[in-house]
Amino acid sequence: MKLRITGIVVACIGLFCPVAPTDRPLLAAGPAAAETITVYNPMGTPPPITLRPQAPRLDTLKGKTLYFVNTGFIGSDRLMAVMTEWFNANYPETRIVYKESGAGVSALSPALWEEITREGDAAIVGLGH
Amino acid sequence: MNKPAVPLILDDFEPQEREVAANLGMPGLRMQFFRGPVWGKTPAQLQKQIVEGNNPITGKPVMAELVELLTRPLTAEEQRTGEMRRDAGPETYTGTPEELHKLFLRKRYTDFLPVVLPTEERVAEMLKFTSHPPDKLLGRMNPGSEAGETWTYTVKTAAINAVMAGAEPEYFPVILALGSTGMTAVNVSDNGFMAGAVINGPIRDEIGLNYEEGAVGPFAQANTTIGRAWSLLSINGGNCGKVGTTYMGTIGNPMNLIGIIMAENEERSPFQPLSVRRGFKKGENVVTLFTGWGILSAKNWAATVWGPNMDYPGIIKEIYGTQDGHLFGTCAVLSPPIANFIRDAGYDTVEKFTEWVTGQVPGAKRPPAGPEINLGVRKSGGMFTVIVTGGSNNNYFSMGGMVPTQSVQIDEWR
Repeated sequence: MKLRITGIVVACIGLFCPVAPTDRPLLAAGPAAAETITVYNPMGTPPPITLRPQAPRLDTLKGKTLYFVNTGFIGSDRLMAVMTEWFNANYPETRIVYKESGAGVSALSPALWEEITREGDAAIVGLGH
Repeated sequence: MNKPAVPLILDDFEPQEREVAANLGMPGLRMQFFRGPVWGKTPAQLQKQIVEGNNPITGKPVMAELVELLTRPLTAEEQRTGEMRRDAGPETYTGTPEELHKLFLRKRYTDFLPVVLPTEERVAEMLKFTSHPPDKLLGRMNPGSEAGETWTYTVKTAAINAVMAGAEPEYFPVILALGSTGMTAVNVSDNGFMAGAVINGPIRDEIGLNYEEGAVGPFAQANTTIGRAWSLLSINGGNCGKVGTTYMGTIGNPMNLIGIIMAENEERSPFQPLSVRRGFKKGENVVTLFTGWGILSAKNWAATVWGPNMDYPGIIKEIYGTQDGHLFGTCAVLSPPIANFIRDAGYDTVEKFTEWVTGQVPGAKRPPAGPEINLGVRKSGGMFTVIVTGGSNNNYFSMGGMVPTQSVQIDEWR
């Protein structure tokens, strides 16, 4: 019985004693605080970019045809209507043509593209919501 | 066209739109920004907010600046041509672990939780679990929109991210199968989409995937770290999930952290496994990818139904009718007891049950969406997918919006 009690006491002391260095396998296996390691960069590879020049600007809006192209996001029609009113008031000699893109939010229909190329001088496209 | 054009964009999207323009070869593309939203505003409000307002970025009046963008001569920089090559930084970093953890956080290589640092030894151990060479091109990924640029990544990139996620090397073939699809786990959409996957086949037990209690939650290392590895591969390999450029979820989605990685409880399911229903042989190791909103909804709580009212087929059909079928349809995740209720009610195959729930023959060609999307009309229920997983300790199930996109064999990546 005495041996048994002694054994329990030893076990309990062991529970509350500070952990000896040999009881720290995780720390012992890892690098010391000041030690440096080398790790990989986890990023993938971005594609190369082919640079494209922007189209030449107009010298004036006077006498020019400006297309407003609505790509379909809700409210773009109202916004373009109030913007058109501003152009009519401030640039009365600029002709405004309102069109819907006909090809969703990220493209213009080929027919509209050709029309602007043929008949337009510039375009305002929206709305990037 | 070769005509000057200026896009109108809300200022919240400036970083993303500049990146998109750069990716398309025009880093200095002229754009006009203004304060949103536009949706739901009256003409008078739009007049005051935008036409009489200033560009929040430059501080200049919107309309005068718009004219200037169309008429001010181009600079030499705006007319540049040629090829611009980029890299994503050095191949390796050296420092103390503390320094490297801070560096990874600063460079947004993480999901803001601690990662396992990808040392050469750890990555090499991961690579032992595939026969594919480290420099093999694994996939091409964009943030889920054609407007975003498409990055490429290798088998080694996936191994690095798998180590960071805390994945065990034996999970690596599943992670490679996911990465090979190029589908991002962190979609750019302002809707806040999540991603998930269902795994079928003996690999479920081989790598310790949980398909009993807690099957759709973070209650097993395999489910949790496979999902995290897919998210980290998307963030790093595919450059996704960067708020302001490649991510714009308006309120976000917590499931972007580890997704939902499920294994079907094939042993307790009365139905054919999902992979078999999608054309694979029983016993093949297959992962099926999903995208959507997620699967949890308060609409799905039916715990107070007892006795003769336990008409689970009817309850599911009713919930299906309340779901928004637009985009992702309806996904039902059934515990085995619920699946057995359905079988005992006379639906011994998922196909029969689907036909009854949706009123459509599975696989039948659906009519084109037509003008529904533009008009905002919601299609009730939509495509119906059934997954059986989880424990048998109670009669629970969950339904939400999630749709299968593709299924991939896993063993090809061993």
